[in-house]
Amino acid sequence: MRLPLLLLFCMAGAASAQDRPVIVADSYPVAYFAEQLAGDSADVRLVVPEGRDPSSWRPSLAEIGEIQSADLIVLNGAGLADWTSRAALPRARTVETTRGLTDRFIQTETITHSHGAEGSHSHEGVATHTWLDLEIAAAQAEALSVAIGRALPDIDVAANLQALADLLAALDAQGNALVDGDAVPTIASHPRYEYLGAAYDLEITSLDWEAGAEPNADQLAVLSELIAETGATLFIWEAAPPASANAAVADLGLAQAVVHPLTMPSGDMDFAQTMRANFAAIEEALR
Amino acid sequence: MNALYLAAANLRYHWARTIVLIVAAALVLSVPVLTRTLLAAGEAALTARAEATPLLLGTRGSRLDLVMAGAYFTDDLPEPTTMATSEEVWDSGLGIPAPLHTTFTASGVRIVGTTLDYFDLRNLELSEGRVFATLGEAVLGANAARELSLGVGETILSDPENLFDLDGAYPLEMSISGILEPRGTPDDDAVFVDIKTAWIIEGIGHGHEDIIVEGEDAASAAARVVQFSRITPENEASFHFHGDPNGYPVTAVMVAPYDIRSETILRGRYLDAEGPVQAVVPSDVIDALVARLLRIAALVDTVTVIVGFAAALALGLALFLSWRLRAGEMFTAFALGAGRSMIARLALAEVALVLLGAALLATPVVIALSSYADIIVSRLVAFGS
Repeated sequence: MRLPLLLLFCMAGAASAQDRPVIVADSYPVAYFAEQLAGDSADVRLVVPEGRDPSSWRPSLAEIGEIQSADLIVLNGAGLADWTSRAALPRARTVETTRGLTDRFIQTETITHSHGAEGSHSHEGVATHTWLDLEIAAAQAEALSVAIGRALPDIDVAANLQALADLLAALDAQGNALVDGDAVPTIASHPRYEYLGAAYDLEITSLDWEAGAEPNADQLAVLSELIAETGATLFIWEAAPPASANAAVADLGLAQAVVHPLTMPSGDMDFAQTMRANFAAIEEALR
Repeated sequence: MNALYLAAANLRYHWARTIVLIVAAALVLSVPVLTRTLLAAGEAALTARAEATPLLLGTRGSRLDLVMAGAYFTDDLPEPTTMATSEEVWDSGLGIPAPLHTTFTASGVRIVGTTLDYFDLRNLELSEGRVFATLGEAVLGANAARELSLGVGETILSDPENLFDLDGAYPLEMSISGILEPRGTPDDDAVFVDIKTAWIIEGIGHGHEDIIVEGEDAASAAARVVQFSRITPENEASFHFHGDPNGYPVTAVMVAPYDIRSETILRGRYLDAEGPVQAVVPSDVIDALVARLLRIAALVDTVTVIVGFAAALALGLALFLSWRLRAGEMFTAFALGAGRSMIARLALAEVALVLLGAALLATPVVIALSSYADIIVSRLVAFGS
């Protein structure tokens, strides 16, 4: 049975999928970069099924087999897809696009747990949504272009890399223009926006609300305390909330923006269109 | 014809003595041939494997131990290097590294923890099943599967590192996902797992239930901990690793440089005698070893010639003494008209028949053992020290 969970990400082009090298990606941003770099020369596939989150999805053995047989496996890294730390992937055909960017990682809460005679120990957490800093995204794209050049030498990525770098630089400039002056205290409905905040002067404090769900009274009370504590003026939603939720947050005096985290595609819009929409929403809220 | 008939009749009459003579002569004839055959097969096997292994990196020390452990999976284990050695090769962009962790065994068969790149670099094909996909899966070499009578879907248990080391590596039950095609190399006699699985056997990674209850301190919870000894889809997510992955141990790193220039640069990076890592070209080490073996073989040849000469003298003496015992018989033959030449022909016919019998006995033995030379050699090499 052909894997129903594999999304055929790029069907365009004259050549059939069977004739082209297959590039698989563990999340949408790196899949988008691969598609931009390889063009029609490769069949780029996002391995995560629609509606699933790359950070919690776990492939079956059959799906790992499909991934292993790809010509190039593209990972975001930074701990985004936990399954990659346990799956056997061919290193020569795998690229972790943030491997050389660890000095730019943002540490998150340290997780401590205990077992065995050695007692408790800690795992340092790292924020995973690296691409929301477009400078890091550009560096990821560059690392990916090197990997494509090495694994699939028939594909000429140089010209495509320049176009992608220009596109990401333009988006980065749009982000940098959002805040003029001091960083804006911001509260996010979910811990996704560490890199976005660090790159574009948004001082993010994260809640852990379910995307698109109506916050309950307790959650709103916590939000109210956080506003008092941080002086936040902006609230970022991961997904469009119910109108009543918008109203409740507005009553607390917060401007609001929906910022799609882009781990998976956002409807019909591609990465660049979604980022433009994200920045436009923040700009509108800050106005 | 009469001499042959009489010699055969006499040998048949003294059948016990004849058998001893034939077996002794057969041994004298076959041992040097077998020794030479096995040496030639050993040299060919060692050399072929070494030439198929472009470069090995490992902790500075015995080059031979590094090559034997990294290319032939023997039990001559060098001091482990770290995963950082493999990562440095990746970062250099000069070649494809395949880390090898060969510390453990399963049912006496060497466990080789590595990455899937090893299969690509060695062009290993599966005869059934698939390559390992996740933690706790194993791919068996053809000989290992046959000798352990194991197939896809069955399980194999890693051997405890030390029966009396209660704090050491615990056995891990691994499920067999595939069997390799036979290649006539040490890969046939190994159990391949993902290197992360080897680290789990070593205790660097492990899985367990979340045991701390609210309000309980870690020390109290630790007393109740039960680590998983089998990795299943249900508990796989609980497996995790401790420490910096760059510090995890590997026995050796096999490297396939992209080209000669890359190999030269790579080798140059590990020339510093004070550095912790050395780069070894296995064919250099094995060529030196084979040259030594050939010198020993020359010595063995000389000894064989001397022993053969001594054996020939002993056989001659045995025949001479038997003829002395048959002096009366010879005198009767002489009295009946048999000339000295006839008696000499009789003696030569007996010697010829003994040698023919020895050759007939030695030939099938040599042919049979020679046909197993590759297997015998691979076992001898695999058993290591």
